[in-house]
Amino acid sequence: MPGLPGRRSVLGAITALPLAGALGACSGSDGNGGSRRSRGTGRATHVTFWSALRGSQEVVDEFNRTHDRIQVDFQQIPAGNQGGYAKLSNAARAGNAPDVATLEYPQVPGFAIDGVARDLTDLVDSAGGAGAGLREKLLPQALALTTFENRVFSIPLDIEPMVLHYRADYFAEYGLDVPRTWAQYEETARVIRRRAPERRIAIFPTDGGTQFAAYAWQAGARWFDTSRGAWNVSLADAPTRKVAAYWQRLADEDLVFMNASEGRQHDAQIGQGQVLTRLSGAWDAGAQMNARPGQKGQWRIAPLPQWDEDASRPAVGTHGGSTFAVTRDSRNPEAALEFIAWQVSHPDALRARLSSGASSQYPVAPALVAVGSEAFDRSYYGGQDIYRLFAQEAEKVRDGWTWGPRMTATQRLMQDGFARASGGQGSILDAVRAAEDGTMPDLRALGLATTRHST
Amino acid sequence: MTTTTPPVTPTGAPRAPGDGARPAHRVRKVARRRELGACAALMTPFLLLLTLVFLIPVGTAVWLSFFQEDQPGLGFGPERTIFVGLRSYAAVLTDPTFLAGLGTVALYCLVYIPLMVVGALALALLLDAGVVRLRSWAQLGLFLPHAVPGIIAALIWLYLYTPGLSPVIELLGRADITVDLLGVHTVLPSIVNIALWSNLGYNMVVFYAALQAVPREVIEASTVDGAGPVRTALQVKTPLVRASIVMVAMFTLIWALQLFTEPMLLSQSTPMINSRFSPSMYIYDAAFTRNNYGLAAAASVILLLFTIALSYGVTRWTGRAGANEEAAR
Repeated sequence: MPGLPGRRSVLGAITALPLAGALGACSGSDGNGGSRRSRGTGRATHVTFWSALRGSQEVVDEFNRTHDRIQVDFQQIPAGNQGGYAKLSNAARAGNAPDVATLEYPQVPGFAIDGVARDLTDLVDSAGGAGAGLREKLLPQALALTTFENRVFSIPLDIEPMVLHYRADYFAEYGLDVPRTWAQYEETARVIRRRAPERRIAIFPTDGGTQFAAYAWQAGARWFDTSRGAWNVSLADAPTRKVAAYWQRLADEDLVFMNASEGRQHDAQIGQGQVLTRLSGAWDAGAQMNARPGQKGQWRIAPLPQWDEDASRPAVGTHGGSTFAVTRDSRNPEAALEFIAWQVSHPDALRARLSSGASSQYPVAPALVAVGSEAFDRSYYGGQDIYRLFAQEAEKVRDGWTWGPRMTATQRLMQDGFARASGGQGSILDAVRAAEDGTMPDLRALGLATTRHST
Repeated sequence: MTTTTPPVTPTGAPRAPGDGARPAHRVRKVARRRELGACAALMTPFLLLLTLVFLIPVGTAVWLSFFQEDQPGLGFGPERTIFVGLRSYAAVLTDPTFLAGLGTVALYCLVYIPLMVVGALALALLLDAGVVRLRSWAQLGLFLPHAVPGIIAALIWLYLYTPGLSPVIELLGRADITVDLLGVHTVLPSIVNIALWSNLGYNMVVFYAALQAVPREVIEASTVDGAGPVRTALQVKTPLVRASIVMVAMFTLIWALQLFTEPMLLSQSTPMINSRFSPSMYIYDAAFTRNNYGLAAAASVILLLFTIALSYGVTRWTGRAGANEEAAR
């Protein structure tokens, strides 16, 4: 037949491509120097460690320098949402997971349910064990987020109360006070919109499932509740509906931009001063400093606005933060936990981490706050003692929040809805409801006991 | 097929020992054995591959959809593998995101398949009628996109669709026309466009080959009877390549139901394509984001059954329609 090239060669070209990718992926995960590799000579116990956190290599080097009995083999992996979590669960399925893995708070229950994260309760509570005394060194509200049915599945590194980052220069120029309540925040948004039509107070991040969770958390929402032995799901509970209505109003009245918080668009918005506040975790202070050194002196940080004017007990949610889990397949859980304990509570560990660049992560071990504060260059924030603020805010983290068993998927569904809402289809609340609708079948298929409460 | 016919005994001949029929029977038996041997030798590679790349994976998927590692209650306890019955299937079928994915693909098929079949047939008829000059060049040009792997095609089009990168959008922008090719309502047509670009040429070649087989006398007869080129194309040639049309429609349907590469790649740059946009993407997401292999397996089996049922339906329906037409003639 004229003009018909070999169908087979075409097929070959098509099939070869994904195959090559798959092979590449396999060889990539083989090169992890995995825990199954025969240990080197000497008496040292080897522990493998995967993390996407910046400065991990420095921390590991410092640990190896100061320890003889345990040596850590570190591998930098992609961030969770860029394939790091998929890599971890695939490795766990294949039986070559590292001894120590890094999990963000929302992912802890999922990995605990899947049997990737090991139950550390006995190791933490046994006197004289690797984790002895660790409980007392850490903020209880952080440990509560990694504890399920009274069992500890992961050890937190940092807790990140959500705070208000604001442009002090523009606030001064427009004669604005720092808003202390959400009502004041809305009022401030109107003033900014009126005074400078090209500027807004903030964005509503369409990829910000974790931000929205922090807003809801602060307002008293309990998306996942584990009382009575079941996952009681209520994403669209009354506090969440209040939060959704608030941001919907701001979006509808064009008081906030509605776009993704990752990517060039938002970079430009911050870089060109089109957005005057950022609502994010304490860590973002250091990230901002590294990303935009040119805005030195322009930003300050304040507590997150509250819902009630005269709340006797102010509350915040958290945004970000990491934990370390020992995997179930680990052959040396005690050594692994010892490394984790050192990493989250020893001043040398934090100093080593900070040596890779400025960071404003708020450590879960109160004893380390002074180390972080000392190392942080205050001049970017006009001399403000941001660590004292973070310490106050960390105390306000509201009790009773639990992340769900499939948080990555739940957040993704919600973000899909936010993106549609920004394109004029549906609302923020619709996105929350869709996230709940799409999460339930998942949990049921996993065989978990569930109930549903939202209306 | 000769292999399935029962052994024929010579009729009427008494089956006495030492009879003349005996050697003939033996010869036939030997021939039959040889035939079976050849059959086995020729079929084995096919059966082996069928088992390896189709039956075993399908079997595994079915097993995964019925058995799962379960932990009671909150799920933090030790897990054990149990038979879960239709639980995963019930979860898939009550999942609004899966049903939405099915809806998306149904809409995609409704737009894509008619466009593809009519477009490819029209091009083939034009080529066959000799309207187009430089026929072989036109064929090559139309076919070439099919040689581009789907993922590369999606990358090329992603470049052309992305504002700020795309020269097309920039040119239109200069003419004061703003288009968002990755918006809420435009994203599905954008995917249809990629698929058309990739496959139109291939299907056109299939039709063109079928048209070559149409006897020239029939065409000449219709010309003598006074039919113009358009009438000849629509009322003489098209009915004669009916079998090819059914085949192309069916392959296109099967291919379209598995929609994955294009939306997966486009989802990198538009939030309007979510991670569960099509059933295939739902399966991928269930297995690799949600670590829910039971759910992914159940969804795969459902998609497979759906595809088989639709293909069967199309074959039956077109077969009956064809028979009716024959009868009417």
